[in-house]
Amino acid sequence: MAATAIRVEGFTKRYGKRLAADGLALTVQRGEIYGLVGADGAGKSSLMKAVAGVLAHDGGTVEVFGTVIDSERAAEKVKQRIGFLPQGLGLNLYPDLSIEENVDFFGRLRGVPGAELAERKNMLLGMTRLDAFRNRPMRQLSGGMKQKLGLVCTLIHEPELVILDEPTTGVDPVSRRDFWAILGKLLEEKGITALVSTAYLDEADRFHRVSLFHEGKVMGEGTPAELIARVPGTLALFRAEPQADALPRLKAQFPQTEAMGAWLRVFAEGLDAAQARAAVDTCLATSAPASTAIQVTEWFDREPELEDVFVAMLRQRGARLDTSLPADAPAAAPTSTLAIEATGLTRVFGDFRAADAVSFAVPQGEIFGLLGANGAGKTTVIKMLTGILKPSSGSGRVAGADMRSAGLAIKERIGYMSQAFSLYHDLSVVENIRLYAGIYGLDDRRARQRSDWVIGMAGLAGFENDAAGRLPMGLRQRLALGCALVHEPRVLFLDEPTSGVDPIGRRMFWDILFHLSRREGVAILVTTHYMSEAEHCDHLALMFAGRVVADASPEAMKQELVTRAGQLLELRVDRPVPAQNALRDAGFANVALHGRAVHLLSRDADTDRKRLPALLDKAGIAVQSVGLRPLSMEDVFVQRITALEDAGRRSP
Amino acid sequence: MSHMTNGGLLSVAGLRRLRVMTQKELLQLFRDAALMVFFLYSFTGDIYMAASGVSMQLKNAAIATLDGDRSFASRELASRFQPPYFQPAGSVADARQAIRRLDDGDVMAVLDIPPRFQERLQRGEQVSVQLQVDTSNSVLGFLTSSYGAQIVGKYALEAAAQREGLGAAGGIAGPLVEADTRVWYNPNQNDAWFMGISELLTVVTLFSILLPAAAMVREKERGTIEQLMVTPLTSFQILFPKVVAMTLVILAGSAIALFGVLGPLFQLPMRGSLVSFFLITALYVFTTAGLGLLAATVARNLAQVGMLTVVILMPMLLLSGAWTPIEAMPPWMRGLAWISPLHYFLDAAYGILLKGVGMDLLWDSVLAMSVLGVVVFAAGMRRFSRQFG
Repeated sequence: MAATAIRVEGFTKRYGKRLAADGLALTVQRGEIYGLVGADGAGKSSLMKAVAGVLAHDGGTVEVFGTVIDSERAAEKVKQRIGFLPQGLGLNLYPDLSIEENVDFFGRLRGVPGAELAERKNMLLGMTRLDAFRNRPMRQLSGGMKQKLGLVCTLIHEPELVILDEPTTGVDPVSRRDFWAILGKLLEEKGITALVSTAYLDEADRFHRVSLFHEGKVMGEGTPAELIARVPGTLALFRAEPQADALPRLKAQFPQTEAMGAWLRVFAEGLDAAQARAAVDTCLATSAPASTAIQVTEWFDREPELEDVFVAMLRQRGARLDTSLPADAPAAAPTSTLAIEATGLTRVFGDFRAADAVSFAVPQGEIFGLLGANGAGKTTVIKMLTGILKPSSGSGRVAGADMRSAGLAIKERIGYMSQAFSLYHDLSVVENIRLYAGIYGLDDRRARQRSDWVIGMAGLAGFENDAAGRLPMGLRQRLALGCALVHEPRVLFLDEPTSGVDPIGRRMFWDILFHLSRREGVAILVTTHYMSEAEHCDHLALMFAGRVVADASPEAMKQELVTRAGQLLELRVDRPVPAQNALRDAGFANVALHGRAVHLLSRDADTDRKRLPALLDKAGIAVQSVGLRPLSMEDVFVQRITALEDAGRRSP
Repeated sequence: MSHMTNGGLLSVAGLRRLRVMTQKELLQLFRDAALMVFFLYSFTGDIYMAASGVSMQLKNAAIATLDGDRSFASRELASRFQPPYFQPAGSVADARQAIRRLDDGDVMAVLDIPPRFQERLQRGEQVSVQLQVDTSNSVLGFLTSSYGAQIVGKYALEAAAQREGLGAAGGIAGPLVEADTRVWYNPNQNDAWFMGISELLTVVTLFSILLPAAAMVREKERGTIEQLMVTPLTSFQILFPKVVAMTLVILAGSAIALFGVLGPLFQLPMRGSLVSFFLITALYVFTTAGLGLLAATVARNLAQVGMLTVVILMPMLLLSGAWTPIEAMPPWMRGLAWISPLHYFLDAAYGILLKGVGMDLLWDSVLAMSVLGVVVFAAGMRRFSRQFG
């Protein structure tokens, strides 16, 4: 297995003036699942296309199975040994062909003989559980199913190397887990090498080794554990009241401080757990002479996550996390006034209930997260509350007005930002802000004031006259937020606001949201499919098939999962796939593959920690370590939805 | 929230909204370099080419002679086919060669003079000459044959008179009716005026459909329309500024075409009130822009807008009377022509620019355009609100 599958050196690619990839280097061994992790525009796709032989590059060497890809002809030589799944849900598939016809087409295109094609098709469709839908046209499939079909079509000619460009983007967490499980199993069984990219940092532990991409450069390469070890430090999670006062004090000393709901999350770089605790205590007690000392109430510490390390690396290279929000603004008085109140909101399209008796309440100053897979009804709910869509039944109050009778009044009091960052790309930063100021009816003096505020808040100074379309994603996102805030709304709706933004940009964005909610008392309703971001919310509602199936704080949801299904154990092993099978045989229901490690839920963690190494040893698998891992919102989401789906199947 | 008003259409906030939205449309249009180049070319170069190049007149039609007689009379007849209408293109030896030159497109017509032409003329017998005409372009073919027939007819008359001894000049003393025409409005029958104005109206129509449709569909593609829908803007406040902005731009384009091309280079008279002309153009653009917005509610991307524009534009041009008089159309098409706004605009534009007529005569066209405009704009707004509301 020591042979090299891919070797890249000094890879450079330009699009016009823009440098998309700047001297990238990496090596992928045969049989490895290699991850390219980074935000949109970081250079992942350019590299993958060059390796697949479909994009010419401007400098450096790309070598695949010993063949230097420097010409069309060289690329043709290795293409039969490669499978490439381009970015975009089902973009390489034919929407009007059925599942089976798509697979047959790709099989014949690759010259797979008939008998072999039938056999492989049955095996792959069986593994991906698509065989029940063979005759369904591809356009009627869900996002997750499309990606699985894409994978089947990529593997049908048994390539030695598969290149998968963001196969999980836009796919809900349940389907995403399913996809990783299938991929892991297939690759392991066939000994296939894989080059896979993802924009989700929390997916990095699915890979054997990863390269961290940022703005056309590789920031680090290695196993996820090696990368995490590069920046030693402690991750602390604690509560300290009042949180809004604690945050700026901590931020001054620990730049990587975030508010997660009622909790504070600090990455104390270079400190061990005890030092971190001492430093935090000192910081909260002494750093602000004018105000009173703040006490840490609850405290957890653990090893940092890859995202913390990535952000630390970027900071070492000069990235800054601070925004120009006034840290000393008075905290908004706690209030019980409801900003959003949905009561039995229902919307029916034909015989499809897109939203079914949805009820929840969001007080002023709260960050409320609406989670759910694509098609669960999140967008329908937002559309009803913002007055774009009339509910079939039910009622709601937004910013103190009845949504059925006061459409325009509501629209004046809310801000809305969509996934697409709906800015006018050909207008400059200032022109965009002024446009929205005018639309909201602000007079010129006020428009100038708010425009200055937005530019300061979003860190756009120096970019005022740049076209919005030329801004980096993070700035574009904050500009869109600024435009939604130009009229100082009391309620802010954010529909998947962080797609494609790099970790630094995401952090700054959440800092601003926290400031708005705590200092200015704005109520924020946000939908997201980044489960790690759900943890920033004070309160969550989980939607499934148009209904709200859970409504609690992130903590309470996790606690509920522990009570119901147990704690999360991570086992690092030498052979993960057989280990997974052995653990399933031993009766564990939720066993998932994460790179070289296996995750499972255990009702009796203490006993299992002791007995599992022995159990696996009997199966001939060596266990390197067993440890408890904190549950993530993704775990909660996947467990909940899987349970509901199972229940749905049992009683259709 | 004191700085905001609940925004009726004519309130301060309502007017401010219309203003900023109109400014936005203009900015976006000016920044679209490709579209601006196309726009400027259409209102200058394209109109220049149409005015100077396209002519409905017969000019220098090549004519060959198959002279089977080779007499004084046959040469006299053939020599009467002269510029500017005709251009002699030599002679051909036989009928097959004549057909081949017509097939090649080498000559427009062949004059076939039979043997013993002169002899029979002098004897006072009836004699025919044949004019073979390439009528693949029916207008030119028609003109060639009718001019040809006139030349031959005139020659025949002279020949007859001469034989009767009435003098070569054809001064016939018998009873004759002479047609005496007076050409009004375009006394030199200058094609450049007609073609120039016609092209200007076509270009105005094209952009009246294309610009608002493109602006609208761009918002759909980028998702900005969704953002506008959650602001306090009404459908009218979203759509109307687009039409206003595009109308301003198209009026500017028309002014460039009139004062930069047709006036100085082709001496177009512009007899009537230019204020009325621009007002009517504005009304026409508004009417047609409604069609563009309607198209944008159907189209999903810019390519579809392009196709729909052609689909709307072609019948509008055909039915307008720009290419054929409405009276010459079959009855069902004549009926359709009444709902083509271009038909009314054409009447009004020629009326003002060439005839110098005023509103007193054009009020019915203006009224018809206004009615069409309001209906189409309302339909566009309705579809828009349904789609996004």
